[in-house]
Amino acid sequence: MSSHNGFDSAMIETLGPELTVFVGLLLIMIVPNLGNGTFRIPGTSIRLPWLFGGTRFKAVASPRLPGLLAVLTMALALFQVVWYLLDATSADGQDIIAGGILIFKVNMFSRIFEAIFFAALLLAAIASLDRLPTGPQKSDDIDVLFNNRRQADFYILMLTSALGMSVVALAQDLFVLFVGLELASFSTYVLVAFHKESRAGSEGGAKYFIVGSVASAVGLYGLSMLYLWAGSLQFDVLATTWAEKGATSLSMMALGFVLVGFAFKISAAPFHFAAPDAYSGANSPVAGVLATASKAMGMLGLMRVLLIITVPEANADGSAVWIGLLGVLAAVTMTWGNIAALGSENPKRMLAYSSVAHAGYMLAALTAIGAWNWGLVDNAGDAMDVVVAALLFHMFVLVFFKLGAFLVLGVLEMEGGASRLSSLAGLGKREPLLAVAMFLFMISLAGVPPMAGFLSKLLVIMGIVEVATGTGSLSSIGDAHWVWWLALLMVINSAISMFYYLRIGVVMYFHEPEEGRRGPLASGASIRVAIALCAIGTVAFGLVGGELIDLCRDAAESLR
Amino acid sequence: MNVDYLSMMVILPILASIFLLILTSRLNAAARAKFDAPVRMATFIISIAMFVVATLMFLGEIGGVNWESIAFNTFEYQESYVWIEQLGITWTVGVDGLSFPMVWLTTLLMPITIIATWNEKSGATYFPLMLMLGGALIGVFVALDMFMFYVFWELTLIPMFFLILKWGGKDRKYAAQKFFIYTFTASVIMLLGLLTMYFLMDTQTFNMQEMVVQASGANASGVWLGLEVQKVLFIMLMLGFLVKLPAAPFHTWLPDAHVQAPTGGSMMLAGVMLKMGAYGMFRLPISLFPHALEEFRFIIMMIGLVSLVWGAIVCLGQTNLKKMVAYSSVSHMGVILLGIASMQPLGWAAALFMMFAHGIISPMLFAVCGAFKHHYHSMEIGAMRGMAKHSPWLATSMMFGWMASLGLPLLAGFVAELMLMVAYWYAYGWWIIFPGLVLAITAAYYLWSMQRTIFEGGEATQPPESLHGEPVPDIDNSEKIAMLLLAAFTILFGVMPWIFLDMMDMWTRSAMAFLGFGGA
Repeated sequence: MSSHNGFDSAMIETLGPELTVFVGLLLIMIVPNLGNGTFRIPGTSIRLPWLFGGTRFKAVASPRLPGLLAVLTMALALFQVVWYLLDATSADGQDIIAGGILIFKVNMFSRIFEAIFFAALLLAAIASLDRLPTGPQKSDDIDVLFNNRRQADFYILMLTSALGMSVVALAQDLFVLFVGLELASFSTYVLVAFHKESRAGSEGGAKYFIVGSVASAVGLYGLSMLYLWAGSLQFDVLATTWAEKGATSLSMMALGFVLVGFAFKISAAPFHFAAPDAYSGANSPVAGVLATASKAMGMLGLMRVLLIITVPEANADGSAVWIGLLGVLAAVTMTWGNIAALGSENPKRMLAYSSVAHAGYMLAALTAIGAWNWGLVDNAGDAMDVVVAALLFHMFVLVFFKLGAFLVLGVLEMEGGASRLSSLAGLGKREPLLAVAMFLFMISLAGVPPMAGFLSKLLVIMGIVEVATGTGSLSSIGDAHWVWWLALLMVINSAISMFYYLRIGVVMYFHEPEEGRRGPLASGASIRVAIALCAIGTVAFGLVGGELIDLCRDAAESLR
Repeated sequence: MNVDYLSMMVILPILASIFLLILTSRLNAAARAKFDAPVRMATFIISIAMFVVATLMFLGEIGGVNWESIAFNTFEYQESYVWIEQLGITWTVGVDGLSFPMVWLTTLLMPITIIATWNEKSGATYFPLMLMLGGALIGVFVALDMFMFYVFWELTLIPMFFLILKWGGKDRKYAAQKFFIYTFTASVIMLLGLLTMYFLMDTQTFNMQEMVVQASGANASGVWLGLEVQKVLFIMLMLGFLVKLPAAPFHTWLPDAHVQAPTGGSMMLAGVMLKMGAYGMFRLPISLFPHALEEFRFIIMMIGLVSLVWGAIVCLGQTNLKKMVAYSSVSHMGVILLGIASMQPLGWAAALFMMFAHGIISPMLFAVCGAFKHHYHSMEIGAMRGMAKHSPWLATSMMFGWMASLGLPLLAGFVAELMLMVAYWYAYGWWIIFPGLVLAITAAYYLWSMQRTIFEGGEATQPPESLHGEPVPDIDNSEKIAMLLLAAFTILFGVMPWIFLDMMDMWTRSAMAFLGFGGA
């Protein structure tokens, strides 16, 4: 374990991925504006070339440049993160200290989250290369489509959200975490409303912004109460204070408020109402980022608060104080999400509700961790690691099949909207490989082997069951911890979810294409590359997910 | 040279089918049609090769296995590879007297199904899907790792879903989804049961063989995991298998799936996929939870009886030929449950032989249905009147299929039913009246009604209305070959049942002894 005080070369090395994103951000701001502009020294007629404005240079005037820069930046950052994760020799756990306060901690746990964020944003950026602005209007001429300014705006927002997310991943202080969360959130608010010309876009954006700010405000209120209670927002200070004072009415209320803030991010019921509108209003790659990276960010916050600060030793049987609340939240979220998804005719709303259901599964796993210290579990730390690793694995592979599904809808959006189930009709005939990819994503979401979604669901259920059965000598199933019933609810919900995932398959292969959609699909190589990457990831991590599981376990260990 | 034939029989067809599907996926419809014949030939050759390998294995030419001496929980051709090390998941394959007949049956039915549906439309997609289905089915039967078993268990759903969806009848959309959702629901509950069991074990393992050893060790001196837990796990596991079997009241997906499925899909569904349920019962809950089986044997018997009677009665009311065959399958699967519940070596052997015999007879009936639909454009039994005069081949095959299905002596089904009756009499005494009467009455009724519809009425000059005045054709050569083959095997295993019965008998007797059931 090494620590850095202040800004030095070692710190640059440690924070390489974040600095890469930051530099990329600056480049996107600067490079597209380079031109032969001059600056006249006041009072004279001497004009000094200062490279900004004027007629832009040919090399930087390409409307695709910001996108390419963003893709390169994200790829480079992702590469560094993956390098860190795979490099066994690197010292795990480096602290960044500023002013005597531990600000960031770089370890496997934070890095694997960054890998999730960067992978999702990279795929979304690749997919967006061909298609801006997105949405229903088809008539826009190419000048509007490739308006350089808007291109730059879009990718700048993507990179700022990446930066915000990585701050959340690294933060060791609730306030720093909150700043990162807001940076990422505000970028996504604008990204959702980016297609402001369409009603759905502006409505979704506004709704998402309003509900999101209320949730943030509530969370911030909770933070201030925590500060009042502990005198600090450092994780370790909060944890010690929790151990000393235990759950007081003030701290519990504060915890509740903080939870609301994060529950909105992961779109847990009943804080999910903005999600379907936001997803259907946003263009598909952005919606995919919301459903994967943004959700992982919320989950990360929840894990930090629940698992680090509130060491679960408050109840008489050794389970966490929040276990009951979270269990109810999990049960309601997964059931509500699935039942609402059954009735949605808009594939993007359906995917949004399915993402609510997945939030429920993740909450169920978190609930199981709450039981990690109860009487029957013999090695509490191991049990917790297993569940945390399962969650990490789940969020990681979710990037492939959830984002992939949104990207397939993105291809359909390019030919005029994907807001009805019937837009998918006949995809099996129009472009078989795309339909196959979509079908793989759907059955992976439902949890059918041998897809990655099955392995992740299996790991989550295994984690829950392992905690619930404890030492393994039960005289009846009733003696298992009640989180076992959450596992049962989870498998029943998986079965319910099969209805709407299969319906996509049926529509793609069974129904005739709509009027005006009979020809070949809109071209776009980059989005297809992104979809292919997603499909490969979905299958590959399902068949041989062992290495990733190992990685997730190491990461889970470094959480404690 | 040590070749892992079993793994190859699982992986090769699946890889080959994926390759063939990708090969033709980017072509348009017209270009793909040109590939129909070569793809069909490729899948046919692969399936024939698999059949040859399975047969050579049976004859002892490969591996030199003495099939009559495989005791319970020992496996031949066993191979194991690490799959996902971090979770202790392995790729472990092996066969015993329980699974080998099913493997052989699958390899037999694949080429026959391909022959019977030689002219299926969109062959370039259809035949690879059949091949994938076959590979996945063999995967279920040879898997000795719980994870691997579950993966293939679910994998069978995907090709079948598409077979029904793309080549099925009018309501195929509904039927395909119902089929998928019913079996998926049951199997996720089964999965939770398997995982709970996994964590309750002393030494956690996914290996079924080790599981059985562990369970029997504990069962010998007490009840493994405790009776209450054993009962809950037994129910969760059985639920998955009962829906697949299917037994009443979980059978309603089957008639829909069958009626809508294409002929080839129906043949594989009835021939092998249903047996996955019975196979799973023997492999997991029965082998692991003998105490729970003892507790629930009466309930299982009642479920079997209800399936048998209900299937037979509903069968009587059908006017749709395919639905009738489907309900007769429900009835026969009830017989398997009766065999299990009899707790006699003979009864279990009867159940195993019923799985095998029904796996040959029901595909024949579905091949007949398919040919009937193909040539008469109807599924209504009324349209069959006088079929014997128009299409003697079809009529004879149909009559033969029904005779076999209803258990006429010297045909495969009879052996199983006779054995079952004896075992059932030992176990439940006068309860035998119910299955006995049902079997006898329905047999008589069907043969009488079939004889009346097929051979009487319908002047040669008056073909059925559904043909709209076209001349009545008889069945194609490919259909003829398939039916002849199936009929030949039905007779073969009716006259010489010991070919496979010996290994089944050995398995059941050693299983009974191993699990501590006395029998009679």
